[in-house]
Amino acid sequence: MTNALELELKQLIIDTLELEDVTPEDIDPDEPLFVEGLGLDSIDALELGLALQKTYGIKLEADSEETRRHFANLRSLAALVEARRVK
Amino acid sequence: MTRQMQLLGAPWRQAPSHDIVAWDADRGAPALDQAGFHQSIGAWQYRLDELAPTGQSWLLYHRDPVAFAAALIALWERGDSAVLPADDRPETLDALSSLVTGRLGDVAQGHQAGAPQAPRWGHLCADRVAVTLFTSGSTGAPKQLDKTFAQLDAELSVHRTLWPLDGRLVISQVSHQHIYGLLFAILRPLCEGAPMASRTCRYPETLSAWLQHLCPSREASSQTPRSAVLISAPPPLERLPIELDWQRASERLARIHSSGAPLSAAASAHARAVLGVGVSEIYGSSETGGIAWRDQQVSDHWTPLPGIEVRDDAEGRLWLRSPFLPDPGAWECQADRIAPVSGGFRLLGRRDRIAKVGGKRLSLSAMDHALQTCHGVLQARALPLAARDNRLGAIIQLRAECVPYDHAARRDLIQALRNRLLSAFEPTVIPRYWRFVEAWPTNTQGKLSTEIVAQLFADLKDRRLPRWLGSEADDAQACRIILEVPERLVYCQGHFPEQPVVPGVVMLQWAIDLARRHLGVDGTFQRLERVKFPQLLLPGDRVSLSLTWHPDSEGGRLAFDLSGRRGCHAYGRMRFAMTEVSHAS
Repeated sequence: MTNALELELKQLIIDTLELEDVTPEDIDPDEPLFVEGLGLDSIDALELGLALQKTYGIKLEADSEETRRHFANLRSLAALVEARRVK
Repeated sequence: MTRQMQLLGAPWRQAPSHDIVAWDADRGAPALDQAGFHQSIGAWQYRLDELAPTGQSWLLYHRDPVAFAAALIALWERGDSAVLPADDRPETLDALSSLVTGRLGDVAQGHQAGAPQAPRWGHLCADRVAVTLFTSGSTGAPKQLDKTFAQLDAELSVHRTLWPLDGRLVISQVSHQHIYGLLFAILRPLCEGAPMASRTCRYPETLSAWLQHLCPSREASSQTPRSAVLISAPPPLERLPIELDWQRASERLARIHSSGAPLSAAASAHARAVLGVGVSEIYGSSETGGIAWRDQQVSDHWTPLPGIEVRDDAEGRLWLRSPFLPDPGAWECQADRIAPVSGGFRLLGRRDRIAKVGGKRLSLSAMDHALQTCHGVLQARALPLAARDNRLGAIIQLRAECVPYDHAARRDLIQALRNRLLSAFEPTVIPRYWRFVEAWPTNTQGKLSTEIVAQLFADLKDRRLPRWLGSEADDAQACRIILEVPERLVYCQGHFPEQPVVPGVVMLQWAIDLARRHLGVDGTFQRLERVKFPQLLLPGDRVSLSLTWHPDSEGGRLAFDLSGRRGCHAYGRMRFAMTEVSHAS
């Protein structure tokens, strides 16, 4: 796992969700992305899923337990992208 | 002989020719008498006759109140009506093109008066449309409002009974393109034969100087008005500087009016303390005209204007029956809620504002209330954003000591507000875009208008812009603008990868753009003089940009200073050369 990918994903999150008060340094890789931590919600999850598909060709079940696990924090998201990316 | 003061009786026709219509308050001398005013009316009619037969509608926008008045009377006497745009932005004017035959006044493609000559008088009838105005509120698209001569006359007669002008000088700090300024600053002096100041009074320094020139103990032969009536609004009254010379204001100001938005109790007390005169506020809207009035130094209850009936319903909504409405016999429901008290009512604010966010219905009023209970918050407004579906923005006025000055402080504050809201609201409806201001941002009428909201969130759409959080004008040539550096500013991307900073050239471009917009600087940029960038400017920084424009024979010099909590980020001067002015044909 590379720091470069983590940074890329941080930027993807910020740009996709148009978070205006968050910089990449603000995102702790081990902190939850949803509700607490970064404070993302269900609308963000949908948008983020679309962005992952567009950027890396990764398809996720919309509301599965597996997806929730991948979206837990930035580190798990990076692991997902590294394992399943086709782009 | 008692003077005829009804609008329908066209009192300007019979007024003595030496009566003063406009007073040059800078020089303390008459600017225009009734004979000259008649010639100006004739001059506009001459131009109109060249352009079209009578019975048309014309767009009228003129910053000069006297030229505006002459053009308006010229239209009416010719048998035409006036369409008054709320502002002179090209989009506003273009949107009205289909309603009008042409444009009059100081706007692009605006026709001007012809050669002075004797006017023609026509017929004003009660049910003819005199003016068409547009709502200026913070909700939705502007609404067209036709006002007949009968409606205007009913309102003017009530004002005259309550607050007669008695020949006093009328000094206006508001735009006459709106109903309040039109009635109080233009039509009242014209109908009551009182002089109006020959230009709008934009700055407190001007007001202080003008009041000095009045003459309370004048001899009968002097033409100088004894005293004045001030037509004002919350923004200028809230910002009255105490350090100016107001010593004689109380004997020279007979009355102050304010309208457009309720004046805060603090501003009412401040104006009273500084000027020595109470403020008579008028509550109403473009649709309804005046509804009620109050002087908060006497009571914070509103008293309905004579002839107006007000009641509430089970939900506390205000119902109104008024001779100023198109149907004087009908009860109309308003958006405000009231609590009746003896002889009047208290205003409780707007009816609940409801929005749909991410498919969920939400009371924005409830969210405003929740935000207002947070530490340091003085006033709050949550609102849907045109630029972001499904997400709310929030405008938060903070106590000065709670204002965040950098990225970390801003993030902590947002986190605290979010946590507070999470106890009462679902995560998806919590505002995502926050604008923290020190002074509640309003237009010149004291309203948080759609234009102001768009300005506050403009950086969401255009990532080259600094975040605008308010401005203050000292005078026409100096202003202070509060800015924040957006974290997603396009110029910070990759500059530098480890620590993004705002490039100096971007700060200079902001200073130029904002000087053009706020100070009307129009020359061509030539060169920099003594420019320094002492401190790095970082994403999230909150700064104050001071601009001072010194025009001279070759163009002018712009002095700027961009400073924040950590010190000065940029200062220096820029030289501009005069540009050839191209006139619209």
